[in-house]
Amino acid sequence: MTPGLSREDGQLKIRIMKGLELTPLRLVLLLAGIGFLFLLPAIARNTGNLPIRVRPIYRGMVLGLAAVGLNFLLRHADLTSFGHAAFFGTAAYTVAIMVQIFDIQSAVVLMAVAVVAATLMAALVGYFTLPHEGLYFALVTLAFGQLAFSIPVGISELGGTDGLNALTGASGVPIGEQYPRLGGLFFNGQEVPNTILFWVTIVIVVISLLVMYRLIRSPFGSALDAIGQQRTRARFLGLPVKRYVWAAFIISGIYGGIAGALYALFFSTSIDPGSTLQVFVSGDILYIAILGGFKTLTGPFIGGIVFETLSNVASDVVITGPAGETEVGRLITGAVLLVIVFGFPSGIVGSLKPGGRVYEAGRTLIRNPSVVGPWSRQAGRGVVDAGRRAVKNVRILIMGVK
Amino acid sequence: MLEAKGLKKSFGNIQATDDVSVEFGQEEGELVFIVGPNGAGKSTLINLLTGLLEPDEGSVVLDGEEITGLRPDERVHKGLVRSFQVVKVFEEMTVRENIRTAILIKEQMTGGWTPSSFFGGLFSLADEHEEVEGKIDDLIEQFRLEDAAETVADELPHGDRKLLDVAMSFALDPNYLLLDEPTSGVSAQETDYVIETIVEVSEQQNVTTVTIEHDMDLVKGYADRVIALHQGSVHGEGPPSMLETDQELRRLLLGVEE
Repeated sequence: MTPGLSREDGQLKIRIMKGLELTPLRLVLLLAGIGFLFLLPAIARNTGNLPIRVRPIYRGMVLGLAAVGLNFLLRHADLTSFGHAAFFGTAAYTVAIMVQIFDIQSAVVLMAVAVVAATLMAALVGYFTLPHEGLYFALVTLAFGQLAFSIPVGISELGGTDGLNALTGASGVPIGEQYPRLGGLFFNGQEVPNTILFWVTIVIVVISLLVMYRLIRSPFGSALDAIGQQRTRARFLGLPVKRYVWAAFIISGIYGGIAGALYALFFSTSIDPGSTLQVFVSGDILYIAILGGFKTLTGPFIGGIVFETLSNVASDVVITGPAGETEVGRLITGAVLLVIVFGFPSGIVGSLKPGGRVYEAGRTLIRNPSVVGPWSRQAGRGVVDAGRRAVKNVRILIMGVK
Repeated sequence: MLEAKGLKKSFGNIQATDDVSVEFGQEEGELVFIVGPNGAGKSTLINLLTGLLEPDEGSVVLDGEEITGLRPDERVHKGLVRSFQVVKVFEEMTVRENIRTAILIKEQMTGGWTPSSFFGGLFSLADEHEEVEGKIDDLIEQFRLEDAAETVADELPHGDRKLLDVAMSFALDPNYLLLDEPTSGVSAQETDYVIETIVEVSEQQNVTTVTIEHDMDLVKGYADRVIALHQGSVHGEGPPSMLETDQELRRLLLGVEE
């Protein structure tokens, strides 16, 4: 089926590809979003004071892509991975090792090998998680994540905690041409190659999202939904559940691998365990999926950009006290997560969609602006009640129940 | 024919089934009801037959082939399908999606796990197969779920949930269907309706159906053959009239002293 227009229940739909039909509004939003991303490097260059910076947003895009992969398991198979940094980091380290030790610079080859490495890693880790669900699944992925973290930390050839860079060690290569390259262009962190890599990444992300869109609407996707919602029943409908979960795990890991490889191409001078393999990276990927809305396709990706921008802004916030300066970045992102979990459990994109909290509130507000009064009273009462409860709980904690 | 041969299974000190040997489908499409007091080993027997549990001793034979040790999903591909006492459906899917999922799983797995079936499953669309949609319509009609077709399973009345559960089993084109108390939890007005629908579809599709049932009136009304279990052993089997004539069975089942 070719792209075209159709009408469904009086609603105009624009067909992008087989199975993907969008309302005009959504299409415009999507194109605007993609266009904005393409213009972002230019915007960042010209707005020094706004918190729009290419590096954190790039990191957000790739972590967001990894979160899209994690979300494949989370949303459909009901499996929460605490170890997705393992695939992200495996790919990033593969890029570094390939450039530094084997003098391979072609970004295409680096991407391909790195994704294969991450796939193998996912196949291995996935195999051992197969018997487990729920908490045990989370713990096994966490354990493997830590294991993957400990490998480069413990091997001095891999740079220990300092990590590696992705600069070729071949002699005679002029400085500035030691970096990974695409065609004749070296990704050396300068403005032009940076921008081009940024654009390439947007294209890869869009393709990855389209593939994911098809995957979750395929018979494989519905089988995975079945496993997530009622595993026993799925098995007794004749589904080899473990094989399906394994396949889903590997697909999920491939997304992490693509993300990790892109990360390494961009941040080629600093590929260290702390920013690619550490448990906090796994945590961030999971956080990003929930923040953006894990019941949506694009949520985790958008969550990545929001999260990294937020972290970047928050990391500038320093409280100076008697003991010196304290960074409160993590505190702020933690507080935001609490607000999201309790106030907007369907995440950023989930809340903005029809049926979502923000969307419905906005609609009510447009129809009847006078609801603001009752709402604010309600909110005020809610805060006061929560405060009272908190005081009571603290009193009980300190003085015991009386 | 589906045969249990000397099945033994114990949980700790409790002998749940003790040397149970029974046959189902002596005649194709027969309706067998399993009766017995609580703890008689009825559910354990079904669990052993379908692979949820493995027997300590004994074997399960399906159409002459031993299937003991096969995974549940492998048994399903051989035509042995079951439902559960507690409804197990996909709660966040609509009735239509539930049945579609069952059919798609069947289609993906027919011929086993092959690369082409797997990758075909990855890159087609779940709702684009016309013959599948037609089959869904047929099942929805047979189980009289038309009004509920677009309702999410979680929000269905209990009787409809039971029917959906059974409809999903029929979506797999079973040769043998084992139903663990399809009327449990269903209101008194609905039980007749549920059983009647199941019996009707079983007969249409000539499926050998084995049903665990506590309502003796239903058993008498619909059974071709009755198997009574007591304390993990076969107490007796025969035509439904056995429920009237076997005084000891009546005492076991109903606590009736005559």
